[in-house]
Amino acid sequence: MKAKKVMSLALATAMIAGMTASATVNCYADEEDSVDKIIVFQSKVEIIDQLEELAETYEDETGVEVEVWGTTGDDYLQQLKTKLANGQGPTVYSLLPGAESETMKNYEADLSDLSFVDKIADGMADVIDDKTVGIPYTMEGFGMVYNKDLINADEVTDYDSFVKMLEDQKANGINGFGLSQESYFLIGHILNTPFALQENPTEFIEKLNAGEVKMADTPEFQEFAKFYAAIRDNSYNPLETNYDKECGDFATGKTAAIHQGNWCYSMFADYDVDFDMGLAPLPICGNDKIAVSVPAAWYVNSQASEAEQKAGKDFLEWLYTSESGQDYLMNEFGFLPVVDGMENESLDPISQQVADYAAEGKTISWPMNDWPAGIVDVYLVPVAQEFFTSDMSCEDFLAALDDAWAQANEAK
Amino acid sequence: MKKKKRKDAGWYALFTVPLLFVFATIVLIPFFIGVGYSFFSWDGLPLNPKVFVGFKNYVRLFSDSRFMTSAGHTVIFTVFSVLLINVIGLAFALIVTTKLKVRNAARAMLFMPYLIGGLILGYIWKFILGDGLSYVAEALGSSSKLLSNWLLDPTMSMVALIIVSTWQMAGYIMIIYITGIMAIPDDVLEAASVDGAGFWQTLLKIKFPLLMPSFTICLFMTLSNCFKIFDVNLSLTGGGPNNATEMFAMNIYNEIFSQSNYGYGQAKAIVFLLVIAAITLVQVSVTKKREVEM
Repeated sequence: MKAKKVMSLALATAMIAGMTASATVNCYADEEDSVDKIIVFQSKVEIIDQLEELAETYEDETGVEVEVWGTTGDDYLQQLKTKLANGQGPTVYSLLPGAESETMKNYEADLSDLSFVDKIADGMADVIDDKTVGIPYTMEGFGMVYNKDLINADEVTDYDSFVKMLEDQKANGINGFGLSQESYFLIGHILNTPFALQENPTEFIEKLNAGEVKMADTPEFQEFAKFYAAIRDNSYNPLETNYDKECGDFATGKTAAIHQGNWCYSMFADYDVDFDMGLAPLPICGNDKIAVSVPAAWYVNSQASEAEQKAGKDFLEWLYTSESGQDYLMNEFGFLPVVDGMENESLDPISQQVADYAAEGKTISWPMNDWPAGIVDVYLVPVAQEFFTSDMSCEDFLAALDDAWAQANEAK
Repeated sequence: MKKKKRKDAGWYALFTVPLLFVFATIVLIPFFIGVGYSFFSWDGLPLNPKVFVGFKNYVRLFSDSRFMTSAGHTVIFTVFSVLLINVIGLAFALIVTTKLKVRNAARAMLFMPYLIGGLILGYIWKFILGDGLSYVAEALGSSSKLLSNWLLDPTMSMVALIIVSTWQMAGYIMIIYITGIMAIPDDVLEAASVDGAGFWQTLLKIKFPLLMPSFTICLFMTLSNCFKIFDVNLSLTGGGPNNATEMFAMNIYNEIFSQSNYGYGQAKAIVFLLVIAAITLVQVSVTKKREVEM
């Protein structure tokens, strides 16, 4: 009797399961002809509102509807991966070119046949296996964003002058140089500099992954650690400060310089900033270049149907070649031109400096995009936290970073 | 007779099959798929290669010092939290079941923290223990360690986590104890007081043995909740400073979602499940044995 009961139960379960399974017909099925709707999902939260407007303009001009999915930014990559894995991915999406786009390459359509691909500035397009798969958004640059009333950047050119600057500011009751608690603003960006100063950053990362070199034995890193210690000794504790406060303190003159990039200019809109600001290199080992690269690139989902992929490519083509598309990129999004023939005449002062540095070729790259996935949040931040809450020496700090690097690689 | 039995089975199925279906689709099936994934090295994307590695993920886990450290943190956290939550919850329950005038208001207020989500609660306390304390310290001109930012100190962050989760859970546990206490018949208590039993004697000899079923439930809930803690951990300390408060669940989350090691993270999750299951089963069987019949 009991067995029968169990059987009938199992049977009923199986039947219901079967019913639901057949009800979920694959709504992702190909509609070969043409599509009248594409889905855009991207990580740059600052431009979401403008992107919604762009979607309307695009529909007016071409008749193709653009649905923009929103994100808070933090879990963008998780959501994107989940959606792609379920076969419900967007048509056009964004990624960070580098390690991130490399792991997702099976989902990236070949965009080499877009008309403007040849005109993309050198090294800015994301090319994987000889195929152009990623179209760059813009250029972003970071370094020392400073208050021109308080600092003369020409005098901050090496470690000694940097420390002197910190001490002078401290004597006046001002923080010389600010970081903040968010992982990239705490250590990611600033640690990028010694990597970028290597002769061949990519090769250096490979050697570091293989354990053939150590940060502790590399001069640029030793100097970086000294900078880091000088910041700890002369400025506020970044662990107690978030991005908003860091920018607010800078805008109100409590901090003379912060380690940020041109993205932070929009933060100052809420303040009556009454001084001129500039962007200067972080002078590790006399470095006189700004770290400039592409923060995100557009990709087309290779798992979508042919027609959808075509619609996605048409969208990018329109965005980068039509007049209204370019207008959005330059004036509404405030992007720096990355494709020949585009110009932006209304740049904010920091972006203008990024453009100037780029034009002069005084830029270093972003090797941090090639670091092992997740290393900044999971392995590097704890080391920085220990450094800022103890009297850890520079040698111990570098050794801890080396350990963290080894652990992150072991996990692969 | 037979017909009636069949009819019963029909009713039985009507009520259980939907639940069984839901349970199977969201718990059982994913669980077995998960066990399968734990034998692969895989980054979670279907088009990327899944490499079968057998038990390698499980073997590696035992030499993963970070995982072991987070296990240690979880044990410390759980021991202190379970004790504190139950002691305080029980004390609250005893207080609000007396003839106190404000007992209904007190019950509502003590229960309130549980209604605030763990994430929000973590952010609120992050402000209190970080900025809030430093304002107080500034106002008092004090440089005491207790008035500096707790979340920058490894030990104090752990203390903060324990306090915050106690603050959240104690009110909930209190409700369970209240029902237990209310269920004790008045005549037993009256008989005890006639026999001359004082407060402590009544508490230890009458109330506690009769509260055993409540103890079973409360200990089970606090044990499993504390082992699984994630939301408060994420918003209050984020595992920092220097991983000093990284718990089991957060370690697994980082492994899977930050580093994209689905297979290895899944292996950790399975071990995590076995540990919790073993501990709570032992606890339930021990406390069950001590339950008394009226």
